[in-house]
Amino acid sequence: MAEPKQVPESYYSDLKSLQAIDFTLVELTLYLDTHPDDLEALKQFNSAAKKSAELRETFEAKYGPLRQFGHSLSAYPWQWIDTPWPWQV
Amino acid sequence: MATSRKWYSPYVSPMDPCPPLSPVSYETPVQLYLGFQPRGMEQFSPFEALAHGTLWPGLYTPYTNPYLLKKRGIDTNG
Repeated sequence: MAEPKQVPESYYSDLKSLQAIDFTLVELTLYLDTHPDDLEALKQFNSAAKKSAELRETFEAKYGPLRQFGHSLSAYPWQWIDTPWPWQV
Repeated sequence: MATSRKWYSPYVSPMDPCPPLSPVSYETPVQLYLGFQPRGMEQFSPFEALAHGTLWPGLYTPYTNPYLLKKRGIDTNG
């Protein structure tokens, strides 16, 4: 029975940095909801959004799609059904 | 570590079938006093923010276990 391939160690550090950036985006979104005219926060939000997109792109290039329904690209063959699933990470 | 927990001793009637463990504590987080969040508050780095659960150290109010103090005896906080 073939042993499913383990993800490399760098998977977890990349995922963590992506999660950290996404969390700051969540916080900044909530902050900007109540402070629409705060320019520094808005600049920080946009730069964090760009950074998050970059991080996600490199992550998906290395480890496969993160989001479904067209939000992520997939290599051949269809990677969505590969392990690890989010709850297995 | 200064906690936002406050204590009071409730009145306990002799008829009270189930008297509280006095003194009783309650949490007073920052947002009670802060009202509208000011601009340009100091921020955590992304990793710290992820660990602390908030982007702003000023709004970080962790749960502080009141029962630890109680184990060390009632008199520590009157």
